[in-house]
Amino acid sequence: MLIEPIISVNNLNKYFFSPDKSLKIDAVKNVTVDIFQGEVVVVIGPSGAGKSTFLRCLNGLEDFDSGTIVIDKIPLDHHHKNRLEIRKEVGMVFQSFNLFPHMTVGKNISLAVRRVRKKSVSECDKITVDLLEKVGITDKIDSYPGQLSGGQQQRVAIARALAMNPKVMLFDEATSALDPEMISEVLDVMKNLAKDGMTMVVVTHEMGFAREAGSRILFMDNGEIVEDRKVEDFFLDPIEDRSKAFLSKVL
Amino acid sequence: MKKHNYLLDGIILIILILAGFLGFIRIKNGFSYNWNWGAIPQFFFKMDTTGKVTPNLLMLGFFTTIKLSFWSSLAAVIIGTLMGILRTRRNLFSKLIGRTYIEIARNTPPLVLIFIFYFFIGNNITAFLGIDEWARNLSETGKSILSFLFSKPERFSEFISALFTLAVYEGAYVAEIIRGGLESIEKGQFEASDALGMSSRDKYRFVILPQVFRKVLPSLTGQAISTIKDSSIVSIISIQELTFQGMELMASTYLVFEIWITITVMYFVLTISLSTLASYLERRMVKY
Repeated sequence: MLIEPIISVNNLNKYFFSPDKSLKIDAVKNVTVDIFQGEVVVVIGPSGAGKSTFLRCLNGLEDFDSGTIVIDKIPLDHHHKNRLEIRKEVGMVFQSFNLFPHMTVGKNISLAVRRVRKKSVSECDKITVDLLEKVGITDKIDSYPGQLSGGQQQRVAIARALAMNPKVMLFDEATSALDPEMISEVLDVMKNLAKDGMTMVVVTHEMGFAREAGSRILFMDNGEIVEDRKVEDFFLDPIEDRSKAFLSKVL
Repeated sequence: MKKHNYLLDGIILIILILAGFLGFIRIKNGFSYNWNWGAIPQFFFKMDTTGKVTPNLLMLGFFTTIKLSFWSSLAAVIIGTLMGILRTRRNLFSKLIGRTYIEIARNTPPLVLIFIFYFFIGNNITAFLGIDEWARNLSETGKSILSFLFSKPERFSEFISALFTLAVYEGAYVAEIIRGGLESIEKGQFEASDALGMSSRDKYRFVILPQVFRKVLPSLTGQAISTIKDSSIVSIISIQELTFQGMELMASTYLVFEIWITITVMYFVLTISLSTLASYLERRMVKY
């Protein structure tokens, strides 16, 4: 029996116009990719390559112009219901954390579990405590996000996404807004997740993470996937000139 | 640091005192008016035939003003929030509805709006809905609850017209305040709620609006104060609020200055306590 991919992207295109409408820019161009359960796909490439746009298309935060996205057998189309279904199964972590500043850490984590998954209050409490333990900040449950460091906020954001018990996690440059000394605490949480078998799509500039935790690299440039290969192959032996140029700059 | 110029302060103070003194002399001599402040207290409270003390016209008007301002501010916040949200949506139809409402309500004199509502919409709709009849046929307790919360049953449909007009008029300003608040919320807050699969309703209810209201509370208080002040114009359709009672008293007693000064003070007491309450609430809110 053929294993079905959990994310199936076919011929995805998204473009936008320059501010004076004279130039059509391809943000995502003819992207076709299948991602399977348990894979940790690391999307890398120069800035402006369309990595984030591609990632944001996957949970419908960004509309696309043509192509199809199917996640866990649900097509991401104009049906609002499908979109909500997909978002329940796809967690997302943002570069700027985007925690809800007026709620405590505990509330941040349990809100969607309570409202979207409709779990009971006691179940929500249990999930919250368990996840805070997982990301290593049990003592901050009653703090407000503003009282936490960047690294702690991002770990809460990861816990918030995990609380929905998603099948896929998307990371959009999760460590780019952090002070250098806090990057590792967030990366550690992500590595543990990868070890636990979570399916992840990670946009990052952390090559160390890609090497250590990634299973597959998507190298993007100008909206296209230039290389789609196993991590070790890509770093040892990049094929395309563009990947070579990029690697020589970042390594 | 710049040195403070005390000499200038002193000169300004002396000029002010002199002006006040001259004004006082002018009123005292050149302006023949028989002050009679002693007649005012009876318009606050009166003794009825059984010897019980009951509120008189000024207090009754004061209460009506409070009730009218409270309900119309509440309704204005509800209308304004809905319209403010519609105004910021991407959907063209929603935007059009929000925009049309705001532009119409803001660009019409409230007095004209009141006439339109009272003579045209008010009369027809209250008759159509049977509100008058409903109010008249209430039980005695029902009637007293109605008068406590709104107005006497006989005047209920006028009260509703006035309430609705004020709410629609002030709602447009509230809508603009809310829109400003919504636009000041980071895009990431919307995206984070969307990414968690939250419905649009939950997103606004739990994430966006609580942050908006916290930001716009000072402007909303300002708008509530405006509502109190603007409520005086509904005296034109015989709502017996403070200004209406003032005009009635003036016509029967000719105590023009005493009455209007008293009424000014009453409005001032109302608005100043509201803004004090609001700044207290603002300070008490949890900091995040």
